[in-house]
Amino acid sequence: MAALVKLTSKFTTTTTPKFGNPITRRPLQSQLKFSTTIKASAATTTKRGGGKKKEGIKESLLTPRFYTTDFDEMERLFNREINKNLKEGEFEALLQEFKTDYNQTHFVRNKEFKEAADKMEGPLRQIFVEFLERSCTAEFSGFLLYKELGRRLKKTNPVVAEIFSLMSRDEARHAGFLNKGLSDFNLALDLGFLTKARKYTFFKPKFIFYATYLSEKIGYWRYITIYRHLKANPEYQCYPIFKYFENWCQDENRHGDFFSALMKAQPQFLNDWKAKLWARFFCLSVYVTMYLNDCQRTAFYEGIGLHTKEFDMHVIIETNRTTARIFPAVPDVENPEFKRKLDRMVEINQKLLAVGESQDASFVKNLKRIPLVAALVSEILAAYLMPPIESGSVDFAEFEPQVVY
Amino acid sequence: MLTSAATLNSTSLGAFGAISPTNTSRIRLQRPQSVSLCSSSPHNLLKPRIIFTTTTTSSGGSSWETATSVKTAVAAVDSPGPAEKMQQQTSTKYYFLVANAKFMLDEEEHFQEQLFERLRYYGEQNKEQDFWLVIEPKFLEKFPKITRRLKRPAVALVSTNGTWITFMKLRLDRVLLESFEADSLEEALAYNPVNLEFEKPENWVAPYPKYESGWWERFLPPGSAKHNA
Repeated sequence: MAALVKLTSKFTTTTTPKFGNPITRRPLQSQLKFSTTIKASAATTTKRGGGKKKEGIKESLLTPRFYTTDFDEMERLFNREINKNLKEGEFEALLQEFKTDYNQTHFVRNKEFKEAADKMEGPLRQIFVEFLERSCTAEFSGFLLYKELGRRLKKTNPVVAEIFSLMSRDEARHAGFLNKGLSDFNLALDLGFLTKARKYTFFKPKFIFYATYLSEKIGYWRYITIYRHLKANPEYQCYPIFKYFENWCQDENRHGDFFSALMKAQPQFLNDWKAKLWARFFCLSVYVTMYLNDCQRTAFYEGIGLHTKEFDMHVIIETNRTTARIFPAVPDVENPEFKRKLDRMVEINQKLLAVGESQDASFVKNLKRIPLVAALVSEILAAYLMPPIESGSVDFAEFEPQVVY
Repeated sequence: MLTSAATLNSTSLGAFGAISPTNTSRIRLQRPQSVSLCSSSPHNLLKPRIIFTTTTTSSGGSSWETATSVKTAVAAVDSPGPAEKMQQQTSTKYYFLVANAKFMLDEEEHFQEQLFERLRYYGEQNKEQDFWLVIEPKFLEKFPKITRRLKRPAVALVSTNGTWITFMKLRLDRVLLESFEADSLEEALAYNPVNLEFEKPENWVAPYPKYESGWWERFLPPGSAKHNA
């Protein structure tokens, strides 16, 4: 799933609120793995990004997760003989939209890239390399999951399968484009190695839908916000890749639409109290993860002229509004208390990071972490328990005459 | 797709490179099919007699277009008179989504991006435009069930491509979908002139300016842009 992967990799956390265990301490382990996957294409120039700076990469890089799911259950879900809810019209329409391939000729590079990369130095250069790496890994993980789904569903539902394949086309294109960007910095991600070496996280199909939907939509809002901001403030346009974001993120938005249709075809994922709880949970974990991640790398956002927290709140609010078109309940992110809670989480998270960086023995570190983790968990829980907003597609309210358009 | 293939191959990335060619070649095979579907249908709709033959021969393809064509064909068969008359009487089917103007033109900014993206694509493909925005369309009079639930002024997205309208319904969600037949484009897109002005949002917190009011003029029925400007 491009989804959570996009979050964990694009926006990187050290403390990822995750199922059951809110604090993941895999980063260390994964950093090691990750650093081995970055190979320099020219030994001499590696040094520029290497040496001291290289540690910078390591510290901030967090498990860019790859996802896998129960493919047999997926096959059952999309078997048209078992599931009569599958709206063929909607999927045909989506297929047509993906076949149209609006961005077929969009991802063409020019010499601006290399020139911009050569101009970048010091911390900014490091930040950009990290940004490209995380984005590339995220897109690539989407490619892997969609590709496999396309392959597995071919027999039971050729239309859905073909859409997955076309989405994997988009993700491959995006990943390839980002990796080309890395080559300007004389680096390349060894995606073949990543495919084999990376740990795959398992998610049931239902959770894949929630998470992927959210990550595609939040991806759209992040990209379009950056694009429009830079269009209005061209003096911050320090790397040409952002100019591609407007068309690029339309792909993300369409991918989200497809997951929206998939969920509509599985109303059991949307229409009971459990679905409401899960929907709120996924929204919250995605928003919190992004907020904490981005607040750790304000240098990137400030480097392109954005105020990190304002940028994030805008993205969260817009994503939440979009998500309310399909999820049966969403958190009330526009309540000022929500942001106050997020800000408290950032503070706690910073303390946690400081513990990690201290010279204490690991035993002491763990002890010091306990109250902080507890505080973080209670903030997250409090945010989760805030009165939510009831929502959902109007398709499910078709017989409610009070809906006014 | 070619660009993508080039990008992927030149990256030469082990498994990544190995997987992608199958992906690209699959798509390359499909493309001609999709292109012919897109480019032929609206054209056909304007020439009912061609539709008649195409429908009988083609099975499968896009279900929407087929359904449309069959209806037209049946209407043509039912109507008495010589062949010329038959041709005159057949009409084109238009699909539309409608909601209040504020939702369509002011609040849903991604909608603007999508319309311009599609316009760009049509330009690249030399494809004639088959979608329009209609402010206060006259055809709404025929849909009391819709108007009862509609805030005014209303704006409709109208297209001869029903498949695309189905997709747009999925995207916009808070809209109503219907279709009608009309003998000419002018008739289909007729509207009651209204001046649209949206209040500026009280607290605009996005780190960028809003799309400029009037962006929609490019999509209004031919010849009407000045009227609403």
